[in-house]
Amino acid sequence: MTALRVLAKDLKLHARDARFLATLSLFSLSLVLILSVAFGPLFRDPAREASATLWAALFFAGVLGLTRALDLESESGGGEALRLTGADPFSVYAGKAMANLLLMGALWVLLLPCASVFFDIGSLRVFPALAGVAVLALIGYAAWGTLFAALARGLKARELLLSILLFPTLLPLWIGAVKLTHSLWAEGSIDAVRDWVKVMVVVDVLGIALAAWLYETIQEAGE
Amino acid sequence: MSGEGWAAKIRAISWALAALLVAGSLWMAAHAPLEVQMGIVQKIIYIHVPSATAAITAFFVTFMASIVYLVSGRNWRWDAIAVSSCEVGMVFSAIVLVTGPLWARSAWNTWWTWEPRLTSFLIMWILYGGYFLIRSSVGSGSRRDVSAVLGVILFVSVIITYMSVTWWRGSLHPKSVTMVPEMRGVLSISIIAWLVFYAAAFQERFRLETLRHAAESGEDAR
Repeated sequence: MTALRVLAKDLKLHARDARFLATLSLFSLSLVLILSVAFGPLFRDPAREASATLWAALFFAGVLGLTRALDLESESGGGEALRLTGADPFSVYAGKAMANLLLMGALWVLLLPCASVFFDIGSLRVFPALAGVAVLALIGYAAWGTLFAALARGLKARELLLSILLFPTLLPLWIGAVKLTHSLWAEGSIDAVRDWVKVMVVVDVLGIALAAWLYETIQEAGE
Repeated sequence: MSGEGWAAKIRAISWALAALLVAGSLWMAAHAPLEVQMGIVQKIIYIHVPSATAAITAFFVTFMASIVYLVSGRNWRWDAIAVSSCEVGMVFSAIVLVTGPLWARSAWNTWWTWEPRLTSFLIMWILYGGYFLIRSSVGSGSRRDVSAVLGVILFVSVIITYMSVTWWRGSLHPKSVTMVPEMRGVLSISIIAWLVFYAAAFQERFRLETLRHAAESGEDAR
């Protein structure tokens, strides 16, 4: 219940910050555009290039979303108020992670058709499987990203520090997302790269398990 | 003799032992049988593998000390052990990253290739670099807690690096090395020597961390 309340609070904060959401959308779109121009105009392997572009743009833009949620909370004093309620730290974490997941999901919904159009690839038939890949990848991204963003809260150059920790840690997740998306776009199935699903599930579970253990310490350190 | 006197003696003995062992292992490596295909370049293995072993050991010590710090009442000494070991581990990892390409150039005809062990080791090194960046950015009030959390989380990258040759296909690093007994003997001695070198460097770095704590807190560091 607490998690859902934190989720509602974070979504409300994001909704009030429409200018940032517009900036984030344009930034991620321009990333897709720049990379598609860099790879084009004649693509060697559009499925591979499009999947790499999609996930690179999502991961880079996502860092801004992760830190913004905590900045908004600091500005409104919500973080302090949340701690004073004595809410279970993991529920707070879960609410924040879900908010980040939804934000990233919205970005994916925006970028997927753009990548499809720019690289002239994809079909609606594989959309459900693509959505499944996105859920797997974005759960891990939100789980680890929320954990690291809480660690980097209040630091100077936190976006840079967050990137240094987050991108190398999530490399297995990123490779998995790119390989599965590529396979779906190129062959219409994930049979050849099915093992990456297991890798992504392990990364997701590990991120959530570490957060369940360590988030309280991180929260206390931030006080 | 005072406690400080004993500590100085132990430091001197451990450094002397480390210097003797490392020098001895290098001498033995120089006189080890020459590998037919790679020639003299193969001898890099007597530095590369022991450095990697010392680095992994160092990060394991950081991981364990971080856990103990978190579960046993936030004693500053465990944090000092974790950061000291991590710093020494970074140096050994850097040695691995320098000697690796020298080997690769001769063995694989390229300075660098994106194979699983190389890539995961570089990622591990970058992540532990992030440990120090975050540690130096966090205020002193929460520095130890944040570092301990990172010390635990980042060990995932060590496990991935260690297991990379098993988990991913196409690794150029072998799962186990086949060598003649003379070469294997020299390699084993080299590993022991570099672990002693790690221990000496660690206790020196730990002493500095203890002195820093004493200077910052005004407590007696002993």
